[in-house]
Amino acid sequence: MSRGDRVPFPSLAWFAKLGERMNADRVRHEHLGYVDCTVEFAVRDAYGPGRPLRAQVTFEEFAAVDVREAGPADAGRADFTLEADAKAWREMIESIARGKGRPALDQTLNYLSHFDSPFRVCAADPLKRDLYFRYNQSLQEFVNASAQLETTFDRRG
Amino acid sequence: MAEYAGKPIGVESIAAYEREFGEKATEWAAILSENAEALKSGRYSLHWLDPKDSGWGRRARPSSRGLTYADVNQLPQSGELPKTATWLNFAPRGSIREPYRERMPVVESYTVLDRDELWADNVITLYEEAKARQWNATRDIPWSELERLPDDLEKATCQLCTFLTEVEFVAGDFPAKWLYRIPQDFLEVKSFLSTQIMDEARHQEVFRKRAFAGGGLLHSAPGFEWALKAILDAPTHTMGTFLLNLLGEGLVLSIFRSGEMIAKTHVDKEIFRRCLQDEARHVSYGVLELKNSLDHAPDHEAAIEELHRFADVGELVILSAFSEPALVEPLAVLLGGGLAKIDQGMEGMAKLWEMFIAEYLQRCDRAGFARDERCKIPKQAIWAK
Repeated sequence: MSRGDRVPFPSLAWFAKLGERMNADRVRHEHLGYVDCTVEFAVRDAYGPGRPLRAQVTFEEFAAVDVREAGPADAGRADFTLEADAKAWREMIESIARGKGRPALDQTLNYLSHFDSPFRVCAADPLKRDLYFRYNQSLQEFVNASAQLETTFDRRG
Repeated sequence: MAEYAGKPIGVESIAAYEREFGEKATEWAAILSENAEALKSGRYSLHWLDPKDSGWGRRARPSSRGLTYADVNQLPQSGELPKTATWLNFAPRGSIREPYRERMPVVESYTVLDRDELWADNVITLYEEAKARQWNATRDIPWSELERLPDDLEKATCQLCTFLTEVEFVAGDFPAKWLYRIPQDFLEVKSFLSTQIMDEARHQEVFRKRAFAGGGLLHSAPGFEWALKAILDAPTHTMGTFLLNLLGEGLVLSIFRSGEMIAKTHVDKEIFRRCLQDEARHVSYGVLELKNSLDHAPDHEAAIEELHRFADVGELVILSAFSEPALVEPLAVLLGGGLAKIDQGMEGMAKLWEMFIAEYLQRCDRAGFARDERCKIPKQAIWAK
């Protein structure tokens, strides 16, 4: 496993790199199965108080096919939002890196979001919220791929 | 002597079978005779080469992920999903079958004839997803990494797995009970229900294996059994699907999510994460099956009221399982982090309870079934202070 890419967090580039890693590891994602949803990964206060980074990643079949920073025109485009402050994101990312792609027991996506804190899953439609559960293993492995990056925390992370 | 349904399988039942196919239903014998005569004489029928007015000839083209039911259903010759099934045998929807109707048998077991007792707008998507996201409880779980836990946590894990082993296969038995009553024209629904049965077999398997990998199964409980019986005995497919997929599996989904959160090993995390994905599919079918049924009910108000009456009973019976100490206590021990911290675990469980019920009521709303004011399950945990 190479950790050649230095990528700052929070940044759209960081999520784009995860998308690239996912697409490069197609065999693994074919094994896990289809993932069809648009997820908005939100890092609260990424750009300062009240200024979040909202990275929308569209998954189709076994790939991340679109990664963009959500603007006003993208409101309502995501099936659900997974949001946390930069500190919680950083702890999770560092845990994944320490575990070489496997987070500590208390740093999995489901663990962190189960009580709506420090991560929170938001969706207006409960069926769309359930997509988070239907694809949970794929989404976990999507973020686990951050172990292959050298994440730098040079802003509020 | 072997028995079936409490009755000996012997001379009488074989005699009944002989009468059925030897004396009453003899059309097959005429068909056999005609076919044999034609074959002996060397005459070919070749009628099957004539597509008549079936529309045969347009070819199904795969979409990016292969050839799905949705791709095939775009062809006019694939046959329309009927509002009410009239083909009560195995002749496939889209085949040339009308000329043979009179000579075909009627399968009397096919009794669920109304599309709106079965259909959900997401059923084809869920079927494809279910096939693509199958996993293997033998190979995909890193069993060799399973670590020994302190006695209280291991027993709590094994007790939780005992509960899950006990309850999981009702979600296989319930669709199985209805599957053979559903005519072949609803093949998409039958296909999806088959995946649900497979999913539940795997869940039963993985929790049984996990329990034995940790020492063994622990206690079954009467409260679980009554909840399962209430599901299995539901009077209609839609009512049972509401109770099983929307309420029961919705609650079990919450338990899986909690199980992943409180898991003390990576092996247990993986088990719960895999299972919760499957369970969420079943919940999604339950929500939209109920919605479809209510949306198309001839008397919407009456359908809602009937469902309320059913839910008034069903919710309370389901509650009998979710109040069992054999479930609540091991969850609290795992959540608290040990037997000595069971009280803290119960506080956490009280929060989870509120989430469970809120999510259940949201799903009911999504299906067009406003249950909030009549819900019999307390919105706060029975033990909440």
